[in-house]
Amino acid sequence: MTPFTTLTAVAAPLDIAKIDTGMIVPGRFQRLPRRAGHADYARVFLHDLRFDAQEQPRADFILNQPVYQQAGILVTGPDFGCGSSRESAAYATLDFGVRALIGASFGDVYRGNCMQNGVLTIVLPQPVVAGLMAQLQAAPGARMTVDLPQQIVTAPDGATHAFDIDATRKERLLEGLDDVGVTLQHLAQIEAFEKQYRADMPWLAPIL
Amino acid sequence: MSAPLSLFDRVWARHVIVPNPGGEELLFVDRNLVHDGSTFLAFDQMRSEGRTVRKPKQTLAVTDHYVPSAQRATAPASIANAEIRRVVELLDINAREFGIEHYGVHDARQGIIHVIGPELGWTQPGLLIACCDSHTATHGALGALPIPIGQSNQLRHVLATQTVWQKKPKTLRITIDGVLPAHVSAKDVILAIIARIGIGGAVGHAVEYAGSTIRAMSIEGRMTICNMSIEAGARIGMIAPDDTTYTYLHGRPFAPNGNNGADWDRALAYWRTLPSDADARFDRELSLNASELAPMVSWGTSPEDSSPISDSVPEPASVTDAEKRGRVQRALDYMKLAPGTPLASIKIDRVFIGSCTNARIEDLRAAAAVIQGRRATIPAMVVPGSTAVKRQAEAEGLDQVFLAAGFEWRDASCSMCGGSNGDLVAAGQRCASTTNRNFEGRQGPGALTHIMSPAMAAAAAVTGHLTDVRTL
Ligand code: SF4
Repeated sequence: MTPFTTLTAVAAPLDIAKIDTGMIVPGRFQRLPRRAGHADYARVFLHDLRFDAQEQPRADFILNQPVYQQAGILVTGPDFGCGSSRESAAYATLDFGVRALIGASFGDVYRGNCMQNGVLTIVLPQPVVAGLMAQLQAAPGARMTVDLPQQIVTAPDGATHAFDIDATRKERLLEGLDDVGVTLQHLAQIEAFEKQYRADMPWLAPIL
Repeated sequence: MSAPLSLFDRVWARHVIVPNPGGEELLFVDRNLVHDGSTFLAFDQMRSEGRTVRKPKQTLAVTDHYVPSAQRATAPASIANAEIRRVVELLDINAREFGIEHYGVHDARQGIIHVIGPELGWTQPGLLIACCDSHTATHGALGALPIPIGQSNQLRHVLATQTVWQKKPKTLRITIDGVLPAHVSAKDVILAIIARIGIGGAVGHAVEYAGSTIRAMSIEGRMTICNMSIEAGARIGMIAPDDTTYTYLHGRPFAPNGNNGADWDRALAYWRTLPSDADARFDRELSLNASELAPMVSWGTSPEDSSPISDSVPEPASVTDAEKRGRVQRALDYMKLAPGTPLASIKIDRVFIGSCTNARIEDLRAAAAVIQGRRATIPAMVVPGSTAVKRQAEAEGLDQVFLAAGFEWRDASCSMCGGSNGDLVAAGQRCASTTNRNFEGRQGPGALTHIMSPAMAAAAAVTGHLTDVRTL
């Protein structure tokens, strides 16, 4: 995972009330291998919103505007990433080039997957998100800054908004820590647990 | 006296290895289930990192999402779509390489992952069951603690460590009391719950379903309820084990049976300690009266967009919340439905009876009872939830009932639930479906999905429109 510290990038206002993970990556792309370079997953991000049936970019879709080609931050509608737990949704978000999402609420599973893959999801109160959305719509291509160490988002107008993030997620994002490595630091405790568990529940022996 | 605990609290506590400062806890995973979805991503990453599966015996793999529902004898070689064929083959290759037991295309134990776990007794009360799928809560119907995980990073973590980091959710008890009216099933109960609390209504909560209605329900019905916890926003849904559970489990392949039955007795004694204490506290409570429920159908693009069949398509104008109004309007546009249309007048193009929500033997019996002696007037198919369910149905003659009525009788797979294997609803086609999701494009691009119970789907197959099974 690439560490996440501070990000300043073009922020795109994705003003759609609900985007579920099936819209982030339509089901028919579920079997897509994620090859080196990750171009395939960048392509399928919000695929059916971005492309028509002939695979042509939809001119009226916001992310297809030239000014958002380099968008690194998305400001999202109130219900983003709910639905199926497909982790490809997080891959696609990352591979499209988005490192931070700012919205009022995110699907639990999607949010966890994003964090695991180095994409920071920031929850702010809906009025604040609406304010950011309005600023970005008024100034297409405006940039925002996300400062993870300070837990602060800086809006295009310079206003700052503090956000919460749990300490573990923050630490792992900051250090780009591999989750398996972190867990295996506890291997002795895991083994001790398993030994006691097996002793307490001997009927589980065939599969323990 | 120790503090009163809920079923969820008790099983959760039993699996905590160590907490971390961020408020997550490292939980021991008893059993892990892997399907053919995008799980190759996890194995790819493991391989590139040189990792092995830490406890291969505690993982079981089965192919379900991508296997064909027809022409199975020659699969996977005969799967025309090379990408789909590759995914089916990859699970086999990965399972072999990593030393995991795998039920492949031709295995008698094959089926949808959430159907075979309980069916084989792999799922048991008090065990933590991890599975790389949204509908893992199904396993909670037996009193297991279900933990849905991602198909790549999180699955890789479980495979490599046999543990999972989780933040303990809050608890919500939904109590359903009373006797369900005739033709009102578990599916109608859960759709009524979701319609009431909304698709995000239980986010951040582990749900326990309780009450006399649940106690009177079969394990199959309980699984239908728990299955759709995620459609209410909850990742975890559980039901306390009871004699119905123990009777269901006894003698199943993975059920405890060693030491001349002593293992079963010891397990049973433990299981009986699990149900919530009478004075256990829940962060939220909700109750429902079963006798007031009616057969439900969905009209929109979220499971919460469900109403009793006697209702009409809602008027967006009458929705007071502006945001919800916009969403309802968008749903109706997608579904090509005019406000005020009586639900029972909506014409249907095809019927799908299947999925981990409603493709167990009891579901097939319910559908068969409705179509017995009748004929489908539109294309309809039944895809049993597992190969064992299929065999059982055939032993009972249900296949003949379906075939005589003009239904297709397919092989166990996820099939048209999400269309991964190519069983798609065509764009613009309207499908009466026993599945759990009616999101835009869920059954195929432009597909229009109405979710309902097996009996209601069977009734729609007979009349060609949404139909109140009670009036058929
Ligand atoms: S039947 Fe549908 S919901 Fe269930 S596991 Fe398969 S695709 Fe998922």
